[in-house]
Amino acid sequence: MFELLGVPPQVLLGQLLLGLINGSFYAVLSLGLAVIFGLLNIINFAHGALYMAGAFVAWMLLNYLGIGYWPALFVAPLIVGVFGVVIERTMLSRLYHLDHLYGLLLTFGLALIIQGLFRNYYGISGLPYQIPAVLSGGQNLGFMFLPNYRAWVVVASVLVCFATWFAIEKTRLGAYLRAATENPTLVGAFGVNVPLMVMLTYGFGVALAGFAGVLAAPIYSVNPTMGEQLIIVVFAVVVIGGMGSIMGAIVTGYMLGIVEGLTRVFYPEGSAVVIFVIMAIVLMIKPEGLFGRTA
Amino acid sequence: MTKNLVISTAVFAAMTAAPALAQDISVKLGVLNDRSGVYADLSGEGSVVAARMAVEDFKAAENGMNVEIISADHQNKPDIGSNITRQWYDVDGVNAILDVPTSSVALAVADITAENNGVFLISGAGSTALTREQCRPTSVHWTYDTASLANGTGAALTNAGGKKWFFMTADYAFGHSLEENTSAVVEANGGEVVGQVNVPFPNQDFSSFLLQAQGSGADVIGLANAGGDTVNSIKQASEFGITQAGQKLAALLMFTNDVHALGVQTAQGLSLTEAFYWDQNDETRAWSDRFMEAHGSMPNMVQAGVYSSTMAYLAAVKELGSAEDGKAIVDKMKAMDIEDPLFGKVTVRADGRALHDMYLFEVKTPDESTGEWDLYKEISSISGEEAFLPMLEECDFSKK
Amino acid sequence: MTEPLSNVLLKVQDLRGWYDESHVLHGIDFEVRQGEVVTLLGRNGAGKTSTLLAIMGILAKRAGSITFNGTEMISLQPRQIARLGMALCPEERGIFSSLSVEENLMLPPRIADGGLSVERIYDLFPNLYERRKSSQGTKLSGGEQQMLAIARILRTGAKFLLLDEPTEGLAPVIVQQIGHTIKALKDEGFTIVLVEQNFRFAASVADRHYVVDQGKVVDMIPNDQLEENAQKLHDYLGV
Ligand SMILES: Nc1ncnc2c1ncn2[C@@H]1O[C@H](COP(=O)(O)OP(=O)(O)O)[C@@H](O)[C@H]1O
Ligand SMILES: [Mg+2]
Repeated sequence: MFELLGVPPQVLLGQLLLGLINGSFYAVLSLGLAVIFGLLNIINFAHGALYMAGAFVAWMLLNYLGIGYWPALFVAPLIVGVFGVVIERTMLSRLYHLDHLYGLLLTFGLALIIQGLFRNYYGISGLPYQIPAVLSGGQNLGFMFLPNYRAWVVVASVLVCFATWFAIEKTRLGAYLRAATENPTLVGAFGVNVPLMVMLTYGFGVALAGFAGVLAAPIYSVNPTMGEQLIIVVFAVVVIGGMGSIMGAIVTGYMLGIVEGLTRVFYPEGSAVVIFVIMAIVLMIKPEGLFGRTA
Repeated sequence: MTKNLVISTAVFAAMTAAPALAQDISVKLGVLNDRSGVYADLSGEGSVVAARMAVEDFKAAENGMNVEIISADHQNKPDIGSNITRQWYDVDGVNAILDVPTSSVALAVADITAENNGVFLISGAGSTALTREQCRPTSVHWTYDTASLANGTGAALTNAGGKKWFFMTADYAFGHSLEENTSAVVEANGGEVVGQVNVPFPNQDFSSFLLQAQGSGADVIGLANAGGDTVNSIKQASEFGITQAGQKLAALLMFTNDVHALGVQTAQGLSLTEAFYWDQNDETRAWSDRFMEAHGSMPNMVQAGVYSSTMAYLAAVKELGSAEDGKAIVDKMKAMDIEDPLFGKVTVRADGRALHDMYLFEVKTPDESTGEWDLYKEISSISGEEAFLPMLEECDFSKK
Repeated sequence: MTEPLSNVLLKVQDLRGWYDESHVLHGIDFEVRQGEVVTLLGRNGAGKTSTLLAIMGILAKRAGSITFNGTEMISLQPRQIARLGMALCPEERGIFSSLSVEENLMLPPRIADGGLSVERIYDLFPNLYERRKSSQGTKLSGGEQQMLAIARILRTGAKFLLLDEPTEGLAPVIVQQIGHTIKALKDEGFTIVLVEQNFRFAASVADRHYVVDQGKVVDMIPNDQLEENAQKLHDYLGV
């Protein structure tokens, strides 16, 4: 068997697969950011906090109402989405006529408030959330032990990403969305209710974050800071893929998960920065991002 | 006539002495810790509650002491911690500072306390430097340090057959020193370190590193990390079936609140060392129930340590009759025989290190656990002399 | 009061409009009857486009009165105005680059019955049929984009069209084709307001002409009296 820099191929295969799993989270989260940025032109800094909220809502559903993982997978994103709609109606919608920076500042402030509230009520250590019984255990693939739940994470994220891509690129509703991204005034003049669309788009984008949060709850510590760390990486993913590019966000998410996974084998200390290094390089060579449309 | 005079003098003396006894010694305690960040659950408001319980249980008022407690958030930043400490000593007249998790902050507070001849009762911080490289005559390091955790967990697991170790190390000073301490203990007990990986800090997904640990063929995976990193690595180790496949996980710094966060389903079988667990005996249970009542969660060893060190401190102040001379109070604490309801027999060594038993616990299985907080079973206890590092010559303040 | 009111579809009175603080429409008055083709003529910067945008509600800061089919529209949103059966083909055409030709065509939602069928549209614009699968609407030639911009508002059921300089910058054959289209649409019962600088083209399709100058309507000339007003028009338009 050949070895690559002293790493046997089975190990490499295992790490590639793990990278793909992490990439699943990046993809779902950056997709939500890209959808929101596309139509609202807002860099949604509250995305990480809403991802965290998704995980917490799943926990609350279970502990206060006895609602388990599977229903929570739909209910929690719905709740987060409705919360997003409220944010859009009461706050963001007042900022559209101002510079981008205001939206960024507002969502950043919201992130801090949401995080602070959860920390106040639930502490910092985190809360337990179990893997649903049908998905506990795993498969021995020969080169690695693949927990069933991780396999499910990949399947679920691919399904959600594909469905979102299809809805945006291939349906009539998606055509409205793409058109409104380019020229909201004209789409409004055709009789389309653009403000309603903007509101639902924000709600949908953050519901994606909530969905990722529910997916994460059984494997990552459910605590108020869980979104803070992840979201910085996801912003880098969106920048690399190209702001507002749907396909770019998805593909880059999976791709960078894999790159990060490989870095963990060859140079673990560098795995936290590799994505930012790539971002810097992409910004120098192709500032609009790998999949960005030139304006 | 003479007899009457003697009696009236005595009565007069008693009359004047009594109010003096009741009000003369005033003491101000400052609980300085993390109230909003990563260590807020392990110290935070819980430590303030514990200090208040100590004042209550000591019956300070009946003992002629007027004790006041204030608290502040150091946000885990040495500069903020230093500023508050200075303000407390210079302006607010604080006599003793309690708790202080985050070693870098604690080291700064130790220096300022020595300059001001205050008292520093350390519970939250774990660095061995507090009684070694940066030992101070006014410091008492009460609860634990990284060496005692390494000694507890490292020695016990190695002796129980876990000869080959692999470390997952948080890539910053704390993680490296924890790894170093534990490696020394493992090797001293006839074990070997077969590999390690430096994990960026902080980190969320540990699966890659767990896979490397699994591939190393180690018997024990040592987690040289803390807080959310530890919780995540254990959660994911369980998911990847690491422990089911026969490898043991050793958390080198973990507290009851972290295990509670994981739940026994996930944390079962984990080995860890602590100085205190709420369910050890009738006294710890009775105290912890009161703490639960007041704070809403069970105490961990840091919070228990704040209580016990405050009790010992107040006893020393009472004997001296004053809270003014910090070094004298600490010397008094070093001279006392302390019989503590939570930590048992405690002696404060000349370098300020409090010696007491440490305990190796194993997290219960869901079948064994009977409630939300029924988390540990005790595997063994280690005496203070064994658990903590020996005293350094230059830190022997009895000779200075 | 002598004309039957039912015949007047659009009535614009003392329309004033602003871009932020800049006042560009100073009192526009005109009316359009059912089934007419009416042009707004005027120099560059006279306020023709702004007038169409104000009618459509896109120029939001506006005052005066715009009644359409008896409904006052001066304080309505663009989407409400569109729902009354009015559609705009903007000066810059507004073809969406992230939509295919077919998607561009199908984009404006149906707001009433009686729009042209897709077959009829492809009939009128055979080029679009050939290019319908093209991935980006903006990959079309200028003439094709103009046709697409007109074609897509014919499907919706809106019978009142605002066309802003549809012939601008196009080759003569294509201008001719657009002329035929406008006549065909008039025959189908559409009412059209046409903004033009191309005077000869305007004369070939319209019933009446309004002259706009410095944000005001300064004159109205029926198409059959163009000859005798040629000199006056020359002065207005500065050609
Ligand atoms: N977006 C705008 N902001 C400010 N002023 C504008 C804007 N668009 C047009 N104008 C001004 O309004 C006036 C009328 O312009 P417009 O309606 O486009 O004229 P026309 O279509 O007759 O050539 C001009 O003076 C022009 O400079
Ligand atoms: Mg114009």
